[in-house]
Amino acid sequence: MSTAGFNSQNGTGTGQTYTNGPSQNPVSLQQLPGVSYGMTHQSTFNPMQAKASVASGPGLYSSGPYQPIPPVSSYQSVPPPSSFPALPGQPLLTSPPMGGPPSHTPPLSASPSPGPRLTSAQAMPPPPAVSTGNYYASPQQPMATAWQYNTPPLQMGPPTSMSTPPSATVANHVNPALGSTVPPPPQTSSAAYGSAPVLHSVTHPPVPGMPPTSLHGYTQPGIAPPPVNPILSHGYQPNRALYGAPPTGPPPTGPLPSMKSTPPPTGPPLANAPPPPPKADAQCGGSVNSSQLPTESDSQEGDIECPGMVAGNGLQASSNYNHVDNKTAGRPQPGSPGQHLGHYPSLPPGYQNAPSAHNATSPMHPALQSTTQPYAQTPQPYQQPPGGPGPAQLSPSLAAMSLQSSTPEALRVVNLLQERNLLPPTPIPAPMPCLPQDLQKVNCNPEVFRCTLTSIPQTQSLLNKAKMPLGLLLHPFKDLSQLPVVTSSTIVRCRSCRTYINPFVSFLDQRRWKCNLCYRVNDVPEEFMYNPVSRAYGEPHKRPEVQNATIEFIAPSEYMLRPPQPAVYLFVLDVSHNAVETGYLNVFCQSLLDNINALPGDSRTKVGFITFDSTIHFYNLQEGLSQPQMLIVSDIEDIFLPTPDSLLVNLNECKELVQDLLKNLPNLFQKTMETQSALGSALQAAFKLLSPTGGRMSVFQTQLPNLGVGALQSREDPNQRASAKDIQHLSPATDFYKKLALDCSGQQVAVDLFLLSAQYCDLASLGCISRYSAGSVYYYPSYHHQHNPAQVERFQKDLKRYLTRKIGFEAVMRIRCTKGLSIHTFHGNFFVRSTDLLSLPNVNPDAGFAVQMSIEENLDDMQVVSFQAALLYTSSKGERRIRVHTLCLPVVNSLSDIFAGADVQAITGLLACMAVDRSVTASLSDARDAMTNAAIDSLASYRQSVLTIQQPGLLAPACLRLFPLYILALLKQKAFRTGTSTRLDDRVFAMCQLKYQPLAYAMLMIHPALYRVDDLTDEGALNINERTIPQPRVLQLSVEKLNREGAFLMDTGMIMYLWVGRNCNPNFLTQVLGVPSYTAVPDNLYLLPDLDTAESQRTRAFIGWLRDQRPFSPTLHIIKDESQLKSSFMQNMIEDRTEAALSYYEFLLHLQQQISK
Amino acid sequence: MILMTIIARVADGLPLAASIQEDEQSGRDLQQYQSQAKQLCRRLNAQSPDRCTLETGELNFHYLIAQGVCYLSLCEASFPKKMVFAYLEDLHNEFYDQYGRRVPSVTRPYSFIEFDTYIQKAKKTYIDSRARRNLGSINSELHDVQRIMVANIEEVLQRGEALSALDTKASNLTSTPRSTYAKVAAVAVFFITLIIYVRFWWL
Repeated sequence: MSTAGFNSQNGTGTGQTYTNGPSQNPVSLQQLPGVSYGMTHQSTFNPMQAKASVASGPGLYSSGPYQPIPPVSSYQSVPPPSSFPALPGQPLLTSPPMGGPPSHTPPLSASPSPGPRLTSAQAMPPPPAVSTGNYYASPQQPMATAWQYNTPPLQMGPPTSMSTPPSATVANHVNPALGSTVPPPPQTSSAAYGSAPVLHSVTHPPVPGMPPTSLHGYTQPGIAPPPVNPILSHGYQPNRALYGAPPTGPPPTGPLPSMKSTPPPTGPPLANAPPPPPKADAQCGGSVNSSQLPTESDSQEGDIECPGMVAGNGLQASSNYNHVDNKTAGRPQPGSPGQHLGHYPSLPPGYQNAPSAHNATSPMHPALQSTTQPYAQTPQPYQQPPGGPGPAQLSPSLAAMSLQSSTPEALRVVNLLQERNLLPPTPIPAPMPCLPQDLQKVNCNPEVFRCTLTSIPQTQSLLNKAKMPLGLLLHPFKDLSQLPVVTSSTIVRCRSCRTYINPFVSFLDQRRWKCNLCYRVNDVPEEFMYNPVSRAYGEPHKRPEVQNATIEFIAPSEYMLRPPQPAVYLFVLDVSHNAVETGYLNVFCQSLLDNINALPGDSRTKVGFITFDSTIHFYNLQEGLSQPQMLIVSDIEDIFLPTPDSLLVNLNECKELVQDLLKNLPNLFQKTMETQSALGSALQAAFKLLSPTGGRMSVFQTQLPNLGVGALQSREDPNQRASAKDIQHLSPATDFYKKLALDCSGQQVAVDLFLLSAQYCDLASLGCISRYSAGSVYYYPSYHHQHNPAQVERFQKDLKRYLTRKIGFEAVMRIRCTKGLSIHTFHGNFFVRSTDLLSLPNVNPDAGFAVQMSIEENLDDMQVVSFQAALLYTSSKGERRIRVHTLCLPVVNSLSDIFAGADVQAITGLLACMAVDRSVTASLSDARDAMTNAAIDSLASYRQSVLTIQQPGLLAPACLRLFPLYILALLKQKAFRTGTSTRLDDRVFAMCQLKYQPLAYAMLMIHPALYRVDDLTDEGALNINERTIPQPRVLQLSVEKLNREGAFLMDTGMIMYLWVGRNCNPNFLTQVLGVPSYTAVPDNLYLLPDLDTAESQRTRAFIGWLRDQRPFSPTLHIIKDESQLKSSFMQNMIEDRTEAALSYYEFLLHLQQQISK
Repeated sequence: MILMTIIARVADGLPLAASIQEDEQSGRDLQQYQSQAKQLCRRLNAQSPDRCTLETGELNFHYLIAQGVCYLSLCEASFPKKMVFAYLEDLHNEFYDQYGRRVPSVTRPYSFIEFDTYIQKAKKTYIDSRARRNLGSINSELHDVQRIMVANIEEVLQRGEALSALDTKASNLTSTPRSTYAKVAAVAVFFITLIIYVRFWWL
């Protein structure tokens, strides 16, 4: 990292040099060069439309998605302590009109029934300006607004159009050998069947097995919902590749024991350290495997061993983290505070308006401070093996909790206007709840289960005062490297609330335990008295269930309503002219051929294929045929299955036929001229095929469906892409896809959508099919096999991951929380079956969920509260499993403690979900205002209620210091930005991602990471599996950090950009890129050459390490100044000013202005 | 038509394998039958008859017990009995071959769910009318099918309940001989006496 760029920046002006369009910098954007920000710039804030004073702008906070909350909800009931004196003359700031039916709601097509979701949403526009200007809550608002799809599916009227008897169908059966050339168009094909009259006039011979029922499956109760216990989990397949959990047990490289003694100042890496027990080391994976052995006794043994192994690994892991400490501690070490840390000046010299607030900054080096862990005194919680003091002693030890003494670094006052280098040099760890060590030691991994406030307020009014959203973020099916699995005939659960026994229950004596959610006293069953770990009797508190916050049970037969379903995969492929043109079929077929043996499943696994253009093509793959038979059904109005029995076939028995088909499929449609797409009918057919068993449907679509049911019209106006006004058409155009998705959900079918299209596809409508059936959406804009090799590569890699990752079928998830708290709004892809039961026909390891909570009863006498998520699922091997995660958090009664426990990343993630909802139900500008106001409110509340000394400046607690930055990043995110040209599908896809991705990945989308990579060194490097991974510093997203002498890597989650400066170090060009000079860098470079130099190895190791941390491999674009992609690279420079949006500093001034009003 | 097949361990009724019923195809809701089947598996014990047919309206359960494993299927009443038992025999032979030894040791429900593949194939063979002709040989082997016991499912499922109900009634009788009945009678007698006395006290 060179200091050149930065220093020169700061060195210029005498004070007002916060230039974000550095003129010296070659990278300059379209911005005005060298703008300096004095207070005079305040006038420019108006476009921001942020919060008006409460008095003048009533209804500002009213509308939209943030209201689903029951009356008690947050931010409401108490008169806002932060209410600002009304200021006149802020017309711009009043919220957009809320009343009146939002114009963006499309007409509900043909559903006479009380549409489950949209109807009411539309009928009931967000409350007009009644509310008191509160954000999240509007008590007047009935619960219904935001999540109408919570209504049970029964209320949906059956789609009348579908109920015509199937016997009237018309079909053309052709049995051309697959290898034959082009399938004849329907007309000719009907001829092949015999009497060959006009197209569509042949009545199809009644198919024997034809279901007489119409399509509306949800009028019948679904097969699945296990009435007994809703929750469930999934099977853990140890042989799967492990994602996530980056720090899994790398062997410590030279930890310096002496460093351990200084943990507090080097906090952040430590926070990284406490991986909850589940996230264990590879070594323990082996023992998990053993639990899968067929014989029962073995499996129990395996289970037993695991905890022990964890203990053993605990030490290792901790030493590993020590090493990390060492790394970061080494740099900033003692030195003189306030001096250079690395290359960063401790205090920006600039900022003319910096008041005398120097007292606000502690003598510690800012960067150092900023990285310091909030609660430093529990630095190495994972050093002791679990098994120490049991949770039984929980309550007494809580009293010793020392909030005050830890006067938390998290609460250190930061004047945002003065401190420039807010980003810690390493990824930000999740804050640790302030719990006694013995509890924290067993608490759930924050990567799996995270709360926006790690200290739960005692009352709703306190929560309202804090003005921060309360919610949970989950990644329940995350791939874990170590997971204890318990086989037991009785699963111990609370008799009244059905909570699974967990580490946070208390044992009154040996025979009784008290539930930590409802406080009922339960008996300990006889079987539970025996501890398989120690083989001792009478130690129920040492059982694995009470030693692990994440655990998996093998479910007994009470947890099944039907025999576990087999793994069933159905692929629905678009083969219209447009699709063939993109060439995706080749990639798909090849990927599936390559991975066909890696598909999760057992000997029962079934596969099937459907292709469609204007007709639907089925493939008969029955055992015994010499080659696959194609059956064409051209009656798309009333779809039926030609031979129901032989379309979905056992993969093992018919593998050759399947392979045969996959090899021929791409050629089959090579010359097709059919341009229409009957996606809706194909989906209906696929649903019929899957409904007896359930399973996964993977749909590949390349254009707007324009034929038959579910046809859509283009709604995008290209001229409006850059509009600063409200964005229309964010909600679905038809409820066809949603209804079908609900049918699918009832039959345990999940639909995953792969959208490969250059044109507008109306993802807002199509996406519903995945959203309500718990599928996922993958989007490859401008996919083309020749013109866009980067997309092809990404598609290939995504497919590989998609096909081989773990999968859970017929799943349900329930989240419970301690009495007094209530969960009211869910975010993610699923269908809410009963009030709190999420129906997940499929669950995959890459799905994240978020929920919002409110406090319904005061938590007066409680010291801790707990949350439990239980996921019941059928593994691909036909095992019914329950995965249970339990999180325990302290309850506090002062505002400062609440602020001290705020988890800024989780808050940002939850706000993003809420904003997506609000964009759809209200409007985009409304959502943007709401996000800005969230920052204003919480900081204002902090200033008024927590700070004792009023100082000038924009003050934030250290734990929230990144909040304004993240909010600004959200405002500039594709999903919410205005004024920058954004295709509607891109925007909608970004919204889907924000709601559906686990927090760790969503954060990269929101705030990408920028590294300088031309001067990577081994200093402070990680050492994982014999590979040395350099750890460059995370840079701020500002053009001033760029430098034409360097090369910079930007990691946006799905895409990585490697920007090469014009005068880039020739060493880097030759040793890493393998080109002699800058001009020789090719335009479309997607790969780093495999050079045998130290620099190349370091760079590739670093990029590879970043890629390994996430499930889907991001593509790498190597770009130069002239590259087309440079603009997308620059759009991520969120701290800079653009034509349409404020710079970070301007945004801060805007916040300050609003707060001090 | 064979609608459902369940293989369970007789000792504790643990389901070992099953064939998923196809709601959509039959147009029937089999949920109720499925829970009946589960109950039935739990009721069976070593004393139960080896082969039995249980009627439940238009559908019949047929089961076969061999080597501690129960093979239970649900068929339409019109489906030939001997065919069903030939099918169950077939399942038994194959199942015992593949998994027989492991049956006593498993604890997880549906441990042998992969047997489903074979069940479905066998089912297809026996349902298919053309294939049936080839199975003509079974006629002779199963000539004694007529002697298979026939009972009603309700009776079987309620037999246990009836006994236990009787038991509780009996114990009630012994423990609290004068139940509320007696009290009510006593109170009634008292009031009647009182009324009579009030009405005719002057006599």
